Amino acid sequence: MNLQPLYDVKERLEQAAIAGASLLEEDFRLQRAAEGLKPLAAASPVFGKISAGLEKLLSAPAEERSGLLLDLLALVDAVAYTQGKTGLDGELVPLPFGRGQYLELSYGQLHPLLEALTTTGGGRLEILKSAWENHPEWFGDYRLLPAVVQDLGDSYSEIGELNASILKQAGPAALPLLKEGFDPAGTRAMARRVEVISAIEGAGAAVWLREILPEAKKDVRTAVLTALGGIPASGPLLLQLAQTERGGNRDAVLQSLALQEGEDVRAFWEAELVKHSGSVKFLEPSQTDWSMDLTARGLRQRLESFFQKAPTREECDETKRWCHSIGRKDGPVMLDFWRWAEEHMEAIDQIKGEKDYPPFFGVALDERLQEIMRHTGPGPLRDFCLGLWERRPERSRCLYTSFQAALLSLPAAEVYERYAPYILTEKPAGNSDWKKTLNTVLLRALGEVWWYPQGERYQVYGGQPTAEPLDRRWIERLTQAVYTDVPGRGGSPFAYYWENVAEIDLTLMRLADPTDEENRKLLIPYLRQRLVKTGLPYHYSRWLFRLGGSPRGIFGRSMAKNPSANHLYVVWGLMNEASRALPPEETAALLEEFQDAGAARKQALAHFQKAIPWTVQQLRAGNPFPDWDSWQKIIK
Amino acid sequence: MILTEQMIQLQAPNPAAVENGRKLWKKGSFSGHCRTEDGSLYWAQCAGSGKTPYQVSIDWSVPDAPVCRCSCPSRQFPCKHALGLMFEQLSGQKFETADIPQDIAGKRAKQAARTAKKEAAETSKPKKPNAAAQKKKLARQLEGLDMAEKMVNDLVFAGVGTLSGSSAQTYDKLARDLGSCYLTGLQTAFTRIALTVRQVQKDPAQTERAYAEALRILVSLRSTIKKSRVFLQKKLEEGGFSPEDSTLFEALGGVWKLEDLRAIGSFRENVRLVQLSFDAHFDEAKKEYVERGWWLDPDGGTLFQTRNLRPLKALKYVKGDDSRFGLLEIPALYIYPGEGDRRVRWETASSRPLTAEEQAALPALAEPQLAAAVKRTKGVIKNALAPKFLAALVSIGRLGRIGDFFILEDPSGGRIVLRDRPGDQTSSTARLAMLPREIPAGSALFGLLFYDEGDRSLCLHPQSVVTRSEILRLQY
Repeated sequence: MNLQPLYDVKERLEQAAIAGASLLEEDFRLQRAAEGLKPLAAASPVFGKISAGLEKLLSAPAEERSGLLLDLLALVDAVAYTQGKTGLDGELVPLPFGRGQYLELSYGQLHPLLEALTTTGGGRLEILKSAWENHPEWFGDYRLLPAVVQDLGDSYSEIGELNASILKQAGPAALPLLKEGFDPAGTRAMARRVEVISAIEGAGAAVWLREILPEAKKDVRTAVLTALGGIPASGPLLLQLAQTERGGNRDAVLQSLALQEGEDVRAFWEAELVKHSGSVKFLEPSQTDWSMDLTARGLRQRLESFFQKAPTREECDETKRWCHSIGRKDGPVMLDFWRWAEEHMEAIDQIKGEKDYPPFFGVALDERLQEIMRHTGPGPLRDFCLGLWERRPERSRCLYTSFQAALLSLPAAEVYERYAPYILTEKPAGNSDWKKTLNTVLLRALGEVWWYPQGERYQVYGGQPTAEPLDRRWIERLTQAVYTDVPGRGGSPFAYYWENVAEIDLTLMRLADPTDEENRKLLIPYLRQRLVKTGLPYHYSRWLFRLGGSPRGIFGRSMAKNPSANHLYVVWGLMNEASRALPPEETAALLEEFQDAGAARKQALAHFQKAIPWTVQQLRAGNPFPDWDSWQKIIK
Repeated sequence: MILTEQMIQLQAPNPAAVENGRKLWKKGSFSGHCRTEDGSLYWAQCAGSGKTPYQVSIDWSVPDAPVCRCSCPSRQFPCKHALGLMFEQLSGQKFETADIPQDIAGKRAKQAARTAKKEAAETSKPKKPNAAAQKKKLARQLEGLDMAEKMVNDLVFAGVGTLSGSSAQTYDKLARDLGSCYLTGLQTAFTRIALTVRQVQKDPAQTERAYAEALRILVSLRSTIKKSRVFLQKKLEEGGFSPEDSTLFEALGGVWKLEDLRAIGSFRENVRLVQLSFDAHFDEAKKEYVERGWWLDPDGGTLFQTRNLRPLKALKYVKGDDSRFGLLEIPALYIYPGEGDRRVRWETASSRPLTAEEQAALPALAEPQLAAAVKRTKGVIKNALAPKFLAALVSIGRLGRIGDFFILEDPSGGRIVLRDRPGDQTSSTARLAMLPREIPAGSALFGLLFYDEGDRSLCLHPQSVVTRSEILRLQY
């Protein structure tokens, strides 16, 4: 049955309701539609009912038309619904599957993330970051993964970057989504897709990258050129592109070429560095032999030229860029360079720029050397560093480098015997400035070492573990040090911000293994002595508790030095800590000492007077240290 | 009850509170962890911004409805401290066994007394309605219906297209008068028309859809007014003022109380339900969030819906609902009047994971043929008062694509186009092309059947795939 007349009537009735039932008389289209329905009306009673309704509507007085119109519309709608068709003819193509996984995530878990990924506004990064930190697996869900791909070009670039790192971790599961709908002439979002795809596929992305390169524009082109750097055999193509690309795209080509091997590539870079010395910055991540050779040679030539002629400010800046471009390069060529630098360090340190301004090239080189040494394993470079101080005892910077190399390479006892004497335990006679300097250098170097309880090992800044656990004698030596004034690194483990603790003690406590009996024997008396001297009870008492020691006998007067800090809750917290480490009687004695010394904060005196005797009584009765709630109740 | 992160989420007033609770747990803000020997009460202190820590406790006496208590001044319930304590519990933190604190024991006793009082009130004689007041109310409602009819007629006579600017404001004001005639349902319908027409002014591309929606509401209004007048007049004449099993009560703006549903016998005992899908949207006309769950009765295959309404003004004080996984065992299920997938509510329920057998039996509850589901839908949506969709669980023969269209083919070869329902705030159809695994034979598809004015066809908005081993949700 042809239902078009029904739909025509429906449409006209709707239009009449929108335009107004007052105009029905003039609506010739509705009248024409009513005429068109008549053949259907003859065939079926329901259409007959509609037709009769239309006639009634068109002939009704004005005040009745609205109601009749809506009644008729209800009837027509109902008939249209019942006549609604279903299905579609054609060959059914099976649906793809395997994109992501299904996780039972609730609305409360999923919706905020989808909203953060699909809308704009503040607070979204925090939501995504928190979920990524706590539940990275959620992002593999097939409902979330496509949204992450779509949001790679988020207007808030930090979200885009986070999405990129999420997808890199998602791995091959994200590839179909990333390649689907990829537009090489697209914007930042597509550029990020290139970055993610090449990170996931590695060298496997070569064919795809070459395929899209001719069509790639703007950001996407830059991303493709950068990604080509990770494909080993891209040298010839990149060399060609280096001649044609301009601006940011050429920089991307150079960045990629820095990672390629081959004679042609080397020849290109030789010429490039002559023409544009600044391009050396692109060699920073390169570990190729040719890049080491060119960097070392170029830097050496520049420094040598400054032995005769003072560098201009521009030359200083450029040379610093060359120093930086050493990156973490490690190999025979670099070793030769470091040997040369060692021999000429005096001259390098004496280089003066414009207006006698020292450019500190020597310091920059030493920092670079330490960085490389900390990040490379045993080998010639570390051996070189190990012997540096021995060879150059006149340079304090070499002590720092050699000491850290020794920690990473030598037996603990040997390190101690070799370097401990630089920590002065007695004031030297005569001019002691040099000895004091070395003492400070070694304390600073030790400040970058700490006991890592989770791994049960000592670590050096940068993440490398020491060759052997630190010699225990260091602790004793440090407790006896006479020159302890060393710049602070910050980082107290406790939130007692009003106590300014000396860096030497922070270093010492970073180095101390609290489970080691020897350490405890040495440190408990030391900390008690420091508590008396500094009058900072919260740090030193907690350190003592951690080692199983007690501040009994000196606790009260130390606490009394700054009574305003002794809030009821803070004292409860400290004593609660004490109760976990010490026998009840010891804790009770500390509490009594506190009270006898009158160390309570004035405003809380009455509370302390109630809480302390009661707590002492509880402890002596064999009860556990009361919780905060009990203290609260007892003071009321 | 097994404590899970989802369980914590379910207790929280909003996702931010969960995150804040998690931060407290991660920061190690809790101390003095204790629990009772029977594990029904957990408590601890939580360091806050003040000098004194907060006393936080969670009473698990009713495992699916924990009672959270905290001494903090937050008006959010439960507060972040209580949620943080749940994370402490979830993380396996050691809680020392101790006697129940006196104050909490007191609170528990008070709670028990309240519950007993409530139960006693429920079993006592039902309150007799105030006949005079009810009569007055009915008369006022009938007056309101006359006014509403006049408004509808005037609007259609002038044309829905004229409803813009000042005339829309006038209608808003008139609609408010309907509220004072106890016809808030009609008031909302007028507000909805005004909002829909305003949509045309904001986005002319939506003109056709918006006017069609406005007309659908007007048709429904007309029908409601006509039927309600007969319904109310009959009640007035007969002097019967108790609630009746009729959808008109809600359409006029009435709110069902559980005791009223019980009084009309619209409840079932010991019902089991499995949630198939969940979604939430904001109702601009009523200024409230609607959190909707779709449920399947594994014992009979009936589909139900839950609607948790959270008015914007009281958002902080009304707990949000969330997706529920597993099986819910409900002692008393209250069913709203209506046809099709009826709304349900309950006071208490306990949850547990579905067993493999229970899960495997779910797809068999689907309608084997699309034609039957389609026929049923047509029968429901042609009623002007009914919503224009119906939930259905249909057996899957094949799922696939023809061009840009997603298609469900039932085992006997009947087909239906799958697409998102226009106006629905959630889209899920495209996710069928991203499913993690191939759908095994014997599975079923759950969704909403609706009439699409665009191509005058009945379509299905898919919400989840029910297999013998899992429920794969396309939304939430």
